[in-house]
Amino acid sequence: MSRAVEATRQAALMAALQAREAVPPPGLREQGERARRGLGAYRANAAAIAERALQARYPTVAAMLGAEDFAALARALWRAEPPVRGDLALWGDGLPAFIEAERDLDPWPWLADSARLDAAVAGCEAAADAQTERGSLALLAGEDPAGLRLRLRPGAMLLSSAWPIATLHAAHHGGADLEAARAALAAGRGEAVLVAREGWRARVSALDAPDFAWMGALAQGAMLAAALAAAGPDFVFDAWLVRALQQGWLWRAERAAVAPEESFP
Amino acid sequence: MTHIGIGLRQPHYRHFDAPAAARPAVGFVEVHSENFYADGGAALAVLQGVRETHDVSLHGVGLGLGSAVGIDDWHLEQLARLVGRVEPVRVSDHACFARAPRGTGGPLLHAADLLPIAYTDAALEILCANVQRVQERLGRAILVENLAAYLSYDADVWPEADFLAELARRSGCALLLDLNNLVVNALNRQRDDPAAGDPVAAACAFVDALPPALVGEIHLAGYCDRGALVVDDHGSRVHAPVWALYRHALARLGPAVPTLIEWDSDVPPLEVLLDEAAHAAALQAEAGRRAA
Repeated sequence: MSRAVEATRQAALMAALQAREAVPPPGLREQGERARRGLGAYRANAAAIAERALQARYPTVAAMLGAEDFAALARALWRAEPPVRGDLALWGDGLPAFIEAERDLDPWPWLADSARLDAAVAGCEAAADAQTERGSLALLAGEDPAGLRLRLRPGAMLLSSAWPIATLHAAHHGGADLEAARAALAAGRGEAVLVAREGWRARVSALDAPDFAWMGALAQGAMLAAALAAAGPDFVFDAWLVRALQQGWLWRAERAAVAPEESFP
Repeated sequence: MTHIGIGLRQPHYRHFDAPAAARPAVGFVEVHSENFYADGGAALAVLQGVRETHDVSLHGVGLGLGSAVGIDDWHLEQLARLVGRVEPVRVSDHACFARAPRGTGGPLLHAADLLPIAYTDAALEILCANVQRVQERLGRAILVENLAAYLSYDADVWPEADFLAELARRSGCALLLDLNNLVVNALNRQRDDPAAGDPVAAACAFVDALPPALVGEIHLAGYCDRGALVVDDHGSRVHAPVWALYRHALARLGPAVPTLIEWDSDVPPLEVLLDEAAHAAALQAEAGRRAA
């Protein structure tokens, strides 16, 4: 019974923090303006935390929108989809869909996919650390490709967009100029990308259609023979392997007996 | 090496990622546990490297130890994994709640803040149960920190210091005494009621009400005086009233209580934190001479 009283008291304060209007809950020692000031301190802190947390996870979207509009977006998302975990690095999964549902953002239809790319970059940089197990690649020389799979490094993520998300990302992170991004948008060019760790940072690499299909199959745990079939006749394995090794995309080769979900570090 | 540590924040990682001999000479570093819950990545690598030369204290801001709905299994497992990785010298969190449902029977939310609990018998039982659960999972005692609180409850029946001492007695936890929070609360009480008396004297009385052996760490930080409300923002140097309280606390609690300089917003160059740490070390040395 007493626990229920405390639960009710705590839920009332939580509701007052989440509500659109700042109305102190009942049962406070502070009254009137003093209660509103106290509640306001917590609400202001929540708004600041929302902005900081979302900015850390979605820096490209923040740069595209500018500080004021991004802060408003962060506060709106906080109200609509507040955190459920105490690790704020995990908050904001819903931003891409939230952007798509926000009619005021319709003039920038690439924003949602740019947000997906930002989230992939953040997830990649927090993924388990793993180096390429080069010794395992000897399997490629002697085993039947029907019984082998290639595993991408933990955190590797593939995205395909109707918008030039890699070029836009580069333009906001010092890797391409804004003119190139504007030209890509004007041309209606979509891009498929791989996000993979290079050292501690995630690197965003544009992929052509065969490479994207091939890596998509690998990411789903397909055997090499099936992945080759998915990639199609224009896929060049040797060229891809050189690039994959140079950029550290690969984790290891393994025989089919190892279930993908059992093999992650 | 002194008993004075500093909060390790991202702008200062490079100083602690240097060769061992070039790293800052502080007694320990303290990090927010939740910033290292990732499976891997640069921050975790820095922390594991720091561990080779410094004691690390894990200070949580997200367990919500006073939450009536209980603590999050996921959060506790992440903390346990991090404790296993880092082998910290201390593990701490706050006497606050953070989790509550959205509406009646709604999904559980996390406030991402340190929300005040009532000082009632029921709240004490909840806090004790949650602390014990954490301690059982981690296999060690934790420290629980007093809050800076901008709201309080009509239902309070325990003085805060007695409430925390009773928590420690029942659960076996230690206390992390945040002196800045004591001063912030006392300043706000004085502004609410000018008859409340001198804030530093009130904070000293709080320290005196605690059994000295329960205090395992002290926090020092800066606050922001917004006129109508003083806010614990950890964004400036330690203020004079907090230093005065620290002198009193060292005399009461002993001159070698591990002490942290906390700075979380507008983080300055490392030299500023080290200067604050040096001042704290000087006060500890002075207290040690007096005690001898």
